[in-house]
Amino acid sequence: MRKKTLVNMLFLAPCVFAFVMIIIIPFFLGLYYSMTDWNGVNPDVAFVGLRNFKSLFSAPDFIYSFLATLGYTLINIVLVNVVSFILSLIVTSKIRFRNFFRAGFFVPYLIGGIVLGYIWQFILNSILVDLGEALSLEFLQSSFLSRSNSVIWAMSAVNTWQYAGYIMLIYIAAIQSIPASLMEAATVDGAGYLTRVFKILIPMMANAFTISLFLTLTTSFKQFDMNFTLTNGGPATRFLDQPVKASQLLAMNIFNTATANRMAEAQAKAVVLFVSLVVVALIQVSINKKKEVEM
Amino acid sequence: MKKVVSTLAVAGLVLALLMTASCAKKEAPKPQDVSVNMFQLKVEIKDALDGYAAAYSAAHPGVTVKVETLGGGGDYGGALKAKSQAGQMPDIFQIEGMGHYEVWKDYIADLSGEPWVKDTDLALKVDGKVVGFPVAIEGYGLAYNADILAKAGIDPASLTTRAAYEKAFKTLDAKKKELGISAPVSMAASVAGGMWWVAGQHNLACYWGGGLAFDDTSVIRKALQGEMDEPRFTQYAKYVQLLFKYADRNILLNGSYDDQVGAFAQGKTAFLHQGNWVDPNLKQLGVTFKIGYAPHAFLDTEEKGLYLFAPSWYVVNSKSPNAQAAKAFLAAMATTPEGHDYMVNKAGMIPAFKSVTLKPSGQLSQELMAANARGGNYGVFFGMLPDGAGQNVFAPVYDLFAQNPANLSQFIADMKKAIAGLPGMK
Repeated sequence: MRKKTLVNMLFLAPCVFAFVMIIIIPFFLGLYYSMTDWNGVNPDVAFVGLRNFKSLFSAPDFIYSFLATLGYTLINIVLVNVVSFILSLIVTSKIRFRNFFRAGFFVPYLIGGIVLGYIWQFILNSILVDLGEALSLEFLQSSFLSRSNSVIWAMSAVNTWQYAGYIMLIYIAAIQSIPASLMEAATVDGAGYLTRVFKILIPMMANAFTISLFLTLTTSFKQFDMNFTLTNGGPATRFLDQPVKASQLLAMNIFNTATANRMAEAQAKAVVLFVSLVVVALIQVSINKKKEVEM
Repeated sequence: MKKVVSTLAVAGLVLALLMTASCAKKEAPKPQDVSVNMFQLKVEIKDALDGYAAAYSAAHPGVTVKVETLGGGGDYGGALKAKSQAGQMPDIFQIEGMGHYEVWKDYIADLSGEPWVKDTDLALKVDGKVVGFPVAIEGYGLAYNADILAKAGIDPASLTTRAAYEKAFKTLDAKKKELGISAPVSMAASVAGGMWWVAGQHNLACYWGGGLAFDDTSVIRKALQGEMDEPRFTQYAKYVQLLFKYADRNILLNGSYDDQVGAFAQGKTAFLHQGNWVDPNLKQLGVTFKIGYAPHAFLDTEEKGLYLFAPSWYVVNSKSPNAQAAKAFLAAMATTPEGHDYMVNKAGMIPAFKSVTLKPSGQLSQELMAANARGGNYGVFFGMLPDGAGQNVFAPVYDLFAQNPANLSQFIADMKKAIAGLPGMK
């Protein structure tokens, strides 16, 4: 028995070692650095307490990024889940070529966010604008990415295009795990399609919603790659009487702070991102958990 | 059976540990051989520099120069930080101004005693000490397409005041169809296109140094204290307004570098707001028309100079045991015919050293070299700003002004506020 414990520990050791080295230690180091004045190079690091955090909440660009991220997340949660739920209903119906559609909807998820950002930048900046000029449609003639009030929506649309296929798979699995007898019984009892969807399907797959909402929430909150290539934070807009970048989400704000050699400040922002993500995600999961039904 | 497997696994793990441990011990360098590691960020000169380093190593037995390049889209600063954290700080690395000097000063050696110091005006100096070897001269004015200007009846030599520019832009704008251009100016200022630096660094440099003596930093020094010279800035703001008003809207608000340079190269605009680094791009795009530089004349009074600067400097790692060999390598680059040949003919740069007699091939580079010989040029000081000021503070201000160039007073107010915030960024 003892020997088994030793073997178990030895097998665990590489994973534990890696986990400690790349997650646990950097996490606490990060917490520490967020309370210093470190610039990333200087070996003399001075402890400054909560100064970095205090200055954050008086900086319009950070407050804006925070609110923009919340808005973007909210739009995404609704858009991605509604679209992917509808897609999953379509591809689990008796429609022809449904396997082809399943694969097709999933493919965008396989394209990396960087590449995808450039592709959509080209579509939104060049193709749509040229189309608008050719058809003399005024609302298309300036790019959606160059208008500060539409850029977050454009980003959400691109994100939905990328992510809906992935969430769709989760919903398909949930729909297929619902016993067919249940649906048949409902049909026999005279329930229409919409009634079946809302009264049986949705309550029965509540656990899938928990997972899907959690995934969309966390990925949108941490969005960086597509943000970076699609909009680079632009265009500018005015917030609290200061010019700020209209589509600079939190992760990109952190990145831009860090690349300006303001490591401690960037770390403080990262801690704020982490804490708010944990809080929001916990609230979401606990609400969703209450709605789940056991079979 | 289980036992055998587990013993084997344990043995395997132990073996792996031992192997990594033994690997780490190998490769003790021979004491007499010196290896100089250089880490640089100009991707466009990578091949030329690799070749020069190899030739230098071959000519100097016992010295091996290894060049590593990371730049373009790569995060040079981040990589350098990683190297310093890992204890693999290169012997020669590259910095882009005082902001970076402040970050890296513990690693930067004093180069005051080097033989090339007297041969250049563009060495990086801190408190009277020379610390940086100027990589090249770069510079800019407002590049013009001489053919289009001739057709429109505009003499480029007359473009020395803001009023002259306004007249020229108006003429070009009125004759757009006839000249086949989409707008008079190809200017970029967008955050989205990643072009904030054209406006927020290079154009703003006119306000910092335009019309002053080459090394007069009084305006930017005042700004670093949070003060703006309002009468001067108002004249500058009117010039920016002029550029934005007569620029191609799509390029201004959304365009990338390729869009901006491409429009000028295809003859769709008469002016281009870019430096001599576009020479290779223009060549690639098959430009045959004659190009020259007109000054960024933003003042009410006449200005004739171009903006010249060293965009980056090589510095020597003061903590490296190979510092002497690194210094010798840089000295050879500046003082030997092989070094000159590398800088001008192979790398296509304009060397910052007066003793160099070779001529670059690009039209704009030749213009700059002529301007450098003529004198009366202006310094470029944005490198003195705190890190991130251009990208995070000035960029959105210019982007917003580009969206609505009519609102001059708002732009001035925004910039005043941005400058007032500079002391807090240290």
